[in-house]
Amino acid sequence: MNAIVGTAKRALRRFASSLPALFGVVVFTFLLMRVLPGDPAVFFASGPNAGEEEIAMIRKEMGLDKPIAEQLVRYLGDIGSGNLGRSLTTGQPVLADLKSRLPASLELTFTALFIALLTAVPLGVTAALRPNSVVDNIVRFICSLGVCVPTFVSGLLLIYAFYYLLGWAPDPTGRVDIFSSTPPQITGFLLIDFAVAGDWEGWRAAARQLVLPALTMALFVVAPLARITRASMLAALGSDFVRTARSLGLSKLKIVVIYALRNALLPVLTIAGIVFSTMLGANVLVEKVFSWPGVASYALDALLSSDYAPVQGFVLLMASIFVIVNLTVDVLYGIADPRVSIE
Amino acid sequence: MTILRAAALGAVLAFSAAAPALAQTRAETLRHVTGAAINTLDPTMPGSTREAFGLSLLTYDRLVSMGRKQLNGKWVFDLDAIKPELAERYEVSPDGLKITFYLRKDAKFHDGTPVTTDDVKWSLDRAVTANSLAKAQLLTGSLTSADQFKVIDAHTLEVTLPKPDKLALPNLATVYPIIFNSKAAKAKATAEDPWAQAWLKENTAGSGAYTIESFKPGETTIVRRNEAWNRGSAEKPAWFKRIITQTVPEAATRANLVERGDADIVIDLQANDAAELEKKGKLKVISTPQYNAITFISFNNTIAPFDKVEVRRAIAMALPYDDMFKAALFGRGAPLFGATWADGKAPTGETFPIPQPLKVNLDDAKKLLASAGFPDGFSTTFSFNVGQAGTAEPMAALLKESLAKIGIKVDIQKLPDAQMSTLINEKKLPFFTEGIVAWLPSMDYFYRNFYIGTIRWNYSSLNDPQITEWAQAARFEQDKAKYAAYGKDLNTRHFELMPQVPLWQPSQDAVMATTLDGYVYQFHRQIDFRDLSRK
Repeated sequence: MNAIVGTAKRALRRFASSLPALFGVVVFTFLLMRVLPGDPAVFFASGPNAGEEEIAMIRKEMGLDKPIAEQLVRYLGDIGSGNLGRSLTTGQPVLADLKSRLPASLELTFTALFIALLTAVPLGVTAALRPNSVVDNIVRFICSLGVCVPTFVSGLLLIYAFYYLLGWAPDPTGRVDIFSSTPPQITGFLLIDFAVAGDWEGWRAAARQLVLPALTMALFVVAPLARITRASMLAALGSDFVRTARSLGLSKLKIVVIYALRNALLPVLTIAGIVFSTMLGANVLVEKVFSWPGVASYALDALLSSDYAPVQGFVLLMASIFVIVNLTVDVLYGIADPRVSIE
Repeated sequence: MTILRAAALGAVLAFSAAAPALAQTRAETLRHVTGAAINTLDPTMPGSTREAFGLSLLTYDRLVSMGRKQLNGKWVFDLDAIKPELAERYEVSPDGLKITFYLRKDAKFHDGTPVTTDDVKWSLDRAVTANSLAKAQLLTGSLTSADQFKVIDAHTLEVTLPKPDKLALPNLATVYPIIFNSKAAKAKATAEDPWAQAWLKENTAGSGAYTIESFKPGETTIVRRNEAWNRGSAEKPAWFKRIITQTVPEAATRANLVERGDADIVIDLQANDAAELEKKGKLKVISTPQYNAITFISFNNTIAPFDKVEVRRAIAMALPYDDMFKAALFGRGAPLFGATWADGKAPTGETFPIPQPLKVNLDDAKKLLASAGFPDGFSTTFSFNVGQAGTAEPMAALLKESLAKIGIKVDIQKLPDAQMSTLINEKKLPFFTEGIVAWLPSMDYFYRNFYIGTIRWNYSSLNDPQITEWAQAARFEQDKAKYAAYGKDLNTRHFELMPQVPLWQPSQDAVMATTLDGYVYQFHRQIDFRDLSRK
């Protein structure tokens, strides 16, 4: 009981201490967007015959006619009341856009991370068991390949092979087949929503749609995960307690899985947290290639057209997720290794 | 054995029963993929995308719509054949100052209320009064004030014009003067928003051929046929029961989708993909030169050295036209260079743009540069926006190489779209490429909107009293011969001044399933799905 209270207290304190950072991020992005060249009002008043009057009108609608300091104060006030502004690119409130698109990105990222961990951990362990052997080199080759091929190239290649040539994959657009219906919205995660609705045909369709983009993402992040698994496995295998376990004549499987791997997984957990946060923002190319309605491609479109509100909203969202992921990793650490919680 | 056979038979029966039903719904559904997004249901909202314009043509009716004509064997819209849509017929008074519209008596809005002249009046008032894109467009047809629209009775409306304006009627066929269900819209209006602009962004209140089934901005928009709509050919509803428009950002994926038959039609492929698909011959490719558009290279006529006509002409003589056309567009489009003008005068005046008598001649170009005071050339920057990089990048590289031969050193500058728009608006770019489109491609419309005044669309910042005077006069000229004479003078003067170099009219490549029929190239460069059917 004491431990739980301690952990909760620590988590709360950590969260409070990250609030200034979030505030800084908001202000910084706000200023950065305004320093960047390009006037959104001019861009959006691009219809035939749109003149100075239309530009002034859009500027007023976006609040850009006010001094920057006033804009910032208004923006902070708006955030406080849960209003992130309106996107001119989609014509919708930013909050609604992010809400509807975040689950798509999260579902893709979770699946990709899951596939990546499932591949990377065994690869890393195998490599660590026989360092500098043929197996180790093969793993190294696979990792290099995954990192050096950009995601849009591997994505397009996968589409070309599995959709265009072989016809195995469904058409690579969006999260479900365009002609089928979506499940009632509960969590926004299609796999969960379909399962809750008991629509297994829909579930299969959504899963099929998810395979190629998730694979593309996974390929890209297998390398860091496998490398860190290998390194920490090597360290664990060379440590005193493994030597002791060996000398006691325990079975090899028991030594590797229970003693070495369990201890080696802590750094993998840290890296996985970081990899997850980066993936969420970095999968913009995958989202583009697979017409995936996620937050990253949304932010990129907004950035290209100098649409301030969505970019600011996206950065705030990413920063918050980063804080939450870090917090989660910290808490998990504290549970895995109680020494961490001692202050 | 028997059981197995019975099961197999059952399976076959079940399958064959299901298959036709499935096939039928797919046949009556059209799947359209596009790179861009629909961002509003009200096309008059500032920032509306072209795709939003396309959608509004389906959900709303206008009083009139544009007819079609054949141009080199392809169907294109016809500005001079305005046909009734919500109006049963219209009459233009002999002096050209009054247009009377007689509404169809059977027309109903999606909610079943009949369309009356009160709705038309409210909608047209909104178009010329509310802060929206409509105001500036209707201005080009002398429609500026609510006083110009008068309700005669429930089915008759009179529009008065201050001067006879050729573009008044065609303006009413563009995407902006859509007719709203005024009762439905007024119910959602507020004191700050008297024209219900906020509500209409996300809702439709129209009488068009389709109703919105689902609208996810940036993802998909699905529309369903309005069975009561009878403004199509032969007084019938539209052919397709459902139309799905889906945003697919990756051009290669759009090409794959239509090639594999998963999508039915696409109009924004890369030129090389369209060429490739055409060669394979499995699909129908209708490539129409965008006869209301021009891609050009513009000089800022107010910045040195481009304020000198000799410099502009020298550059026009040093551009590798053929190579640029092939590299940028794979030759898909109508070139605006390489013509022969017998006496140095424009051969025609009714239309613009027309092919210019431009050929590469580096020696003459050098002489012209020397006479302008730049015997050793000069340095400058050439800009284009990232959104057009696919075509502009190879073109810019060839331009740089060729201009180096006459001593002009060119720095290529690739700008994000928003930044490029800003710099153009501030008239800060010296030398760049852009494209323009005129919904109402009459000769005087081009000149008035792109070559006079301080507006942003006067890309070259041209300020020539002659061009200004002739363009304004041509607008109200009712006599066809006199109009053509103005045009001939304008076209000739344009060539002499060379404020910018028209290059070509790119093709719009509509790539579609072979079963589709009825495609017409439209003024807003989108597909009017009401024209389409499946054989």
